[in-house]
Amino acid sequence: MRDLVRSYGKTLTTIFVALVCFWVLIMIVLPQAFMIEQSLWTMQRDSALGVKIDRAYADLATMNYDLGNARDESAKTALQAKIDALQAGISDMEQRETKPHKIYGLQNYTAMSGLHFRIFVKSIVYALAVTVLALLVCYPLAFTIAKLATPQRAALLLLGLVIPYAINELLRVYAWLMILDYQGVINSALEALGLVSFQDKTWVPFLEYSGSVFVALIYAYVLFMVFPIYNTVETLDKNQLEAAEDLGGSIWRTHWRVVIPHAKPGIAVGCIMTFMLSVGSYSVPQIMTRGKSGDWFSQLIYRQFFETQSWNLGAAYAFSLVLVCLVFILLMMKLFGVGIRDIAK
Amino acid sequence: MHGKNVELDKVVMRFGGFTAVQQTSLEIRAGEFFSILGPSGCGKTTILRMVSGFIEPSEGRVRIGGDDMGGRGPARRPTALIFQNLALFPLMSNWENVAFGLEARGLDKRTRRERAYELLALVGLEGKEAQRPGALSGGQRQRVAIARALAVEPAVLLLDEPLSALDLKLRQYMRAELKAIQRKTGVTFIFITHDQGEALTMSDRIAVMRAGVVEQVGTTDEIYDRPATPFVATFVGENNVLSGTVAEADAAYARIETPLGPVRARNQDALAAGQRAMVFVRPERASLVNGHDLDNRLTGRFERRDLEGSYVNLFFTVGDQPFIVHEPNLDRQAALEGEVRLGFQADDAVAMRAGALDDA
Ligand SMILES: Nc1ncnc2c1ncn2[C@@H]1O[C@H](COP(=O)(O)OP(=O)(O)O)[C@@H](O)[C@H]1O
Ligand SMILES: [Mg+2]
Repeated sequence: MRDLVRSYGKTLTTIFVALVCFWVLIMIVLPQAFMIEQSLWTMQRDSALGVKIDRAYADLATMNYDLGNARDESAKTALQAKIDALQAGISDMEQRETKPHKIYGLQNYTAMSGLHFRIFVKSIVYALAVTVLALLVCYPLAFTIAKLATPQRAALLLLGLVIPYAINELLRVYAWLMILDYQGVINSALEALGLVSFQDKTWVPFLEYSGSVFVALIYAYVLFMVFPIYNTVETLDKNQLEAAEDLGGSIWRTHWRVVIPHAKPGIAVGCIMTFMLSVGSYSVPQIMTRGKSGDWFSQLIYRQFFETQSWNLGAAYAFSLVLVCLVFILLMMKLFGVGIRDIAK
Repeated sequence: MHGKNVELDKVVMRFGGFTAVQQTSLEIRAGEFFSILGPSGCGKTTILRMVSGFIEPSEGRVRIGGDDMGGRGPARRPTALIFQNLALFPLMSNWENVAFGLEARGLDKRTRRERAYELLALVGLEGKEAQRPGALSGGQRQRVAIARALAVEPAVLLLDEPLSALDLKLRQYMRAELKAIQRKTGVTFIFITHDQGEALTMSDRIAVMRAGVVEQVGTTDEIYDRPATPFVATFVGENNVLSGTVAEADAAYARIETPLGPVRARNQDALAAGQRAMVFVRPERASLVNGHDLDNRLTGRFERRDLEGSYVNLFFTVGDQPFIVHEPNLDRQAALEGEVRLGFQADDAVAMRAGALDDA
């Protein structure tokens, strides 16, 4: 802090610090805090309240009529007191109807139905599978670009990986939809080979398999796996590979003992990003399955917010997902023996 | 462990249109300490990589122990390479580094560990087995690299300027150490260096290279006392150079006319009258005349005197070129001043066909 003041002066430092605080508050703390708060309460709504209020108004009218006909002074005051009490009761009930009670507790978290819980677990398992598949695809790719390709070819390959990202994610996913559709590119090719027939509807229903979502997810998030791994492998001294080869190490052993230990932070970051992006992805499963092979948890959350209007439940679902991601991060750090500092690199 | 001989048979290495190593034939004997000496970029590493199998020569053959190495990768050659930057595995402990080659050969963990500990003891690193290379000093890392290379029991150890990263004291110490390890193991060492002092103190024989060409192969004494080319004469040790034209020559001696007067020297290249020639005289073979009867005499202007310890470096200007004389430091030199008479014997000077000098 004092270093900052020394090198940038008081004004600039204040601006820096203010910006950082603003960023932390607006981008990190507020949305999460809002979501956690939402997830921790439910409305106490008494559905009979409206009827009770109506009945009270009827009683009130009767009492007012009685009051007009009453002769006895003492009976009058007694009635007046009753009317006042009733009126207070009505306004209290009315208050409760417009501003219902919040009841805090963990009920939103425990309220998940068996079906939703199955979807929750399924989504996590699928996201893990996507992560593993993406790692299997991306590690060799990243290694090839970093260590085997000539610099020009490596640049071309990286460019080739980045270019599709200039296109909107939705369009990229739709491209896969067209490839895998009933009468899509692959099935057309199969028909041309005489293996399927559009007329008899004997096409391969790729889109009804979860595999199609996997493919699209891997495709959508390949970069987030390739780049961190590429960056770490890039820094590996080429002589280490040659030394391992010279000492008789096979390709497998060299990777297992030399390259992977070196690339661990990159692998951890790649897995974390891919997992978080896939477990939270809404558009990819939505587009790819067209609702045909069951919901992903992200679609459930969306529905809680925008279709059933149960924001509290939605917030609890969403926050459960955040917790899963946090657990996953910790797990990866433990598994790969890397600290938060290595990951930040 | 046994050393094997290494034979380069008319080997050429081209990278695209660039020839890094011109046609070269070398015979390195089993169990010898052989150095390849030359300035940076002359093709030393390229030769080493052809022997270790990382690159295949564009032409010619490499044979080790009589076996043709064509088509055999580094893992299948009886060689081990010590890289210029050592290339230790930083995330493994020292003993695991040493054991890596044994692991690749499928030895079980206990045997690997025992063998690695033995080798680390051989290079004087007891107690450092469990540490990582990063925790060691430069010289210690060097030894880990040597132990790791020896672990695969190579017949030929290839060393690519392994001492260049060390400071002077350590370098001198490691020279002796390397030599001792070579004697102890009997492995053939091919040692690359651009430091002529290193090559002279450590080697049995030296090949001196310039721009992809091996200019001379010989014992250290031959290289120093009988340089074959002007480049070797100037790259290995110091030499004074006088240029001129041969006036008369016989089988043993030639008389060369130089701008500084006639000079008699050994006629190593069988020069004939009329040819351009260069005459080389080592500073320690030249002396102040002081009444001696010397074959060749020059007059030089005294410039300065540098004390080197056991000898002094006397700098003169003869004509318009520098001339250096080493005199033993006997503490009885009169102060030098102005014009001084210098000289050297014809047997201590060598005349060669004019050619490229060490330009460094
Ligand atoms: N793989 C390669 N591709 C192209 N040129 C190379 C390659 N390896 C070495 N060279 C060139 O060959 C020459 C000799 O290199 P090198 O053998 O490394 O020299 P030294 O080890 O003597 O310093 C240099 O000019 C270098 O640029
Ligand atoms: Mg080199």
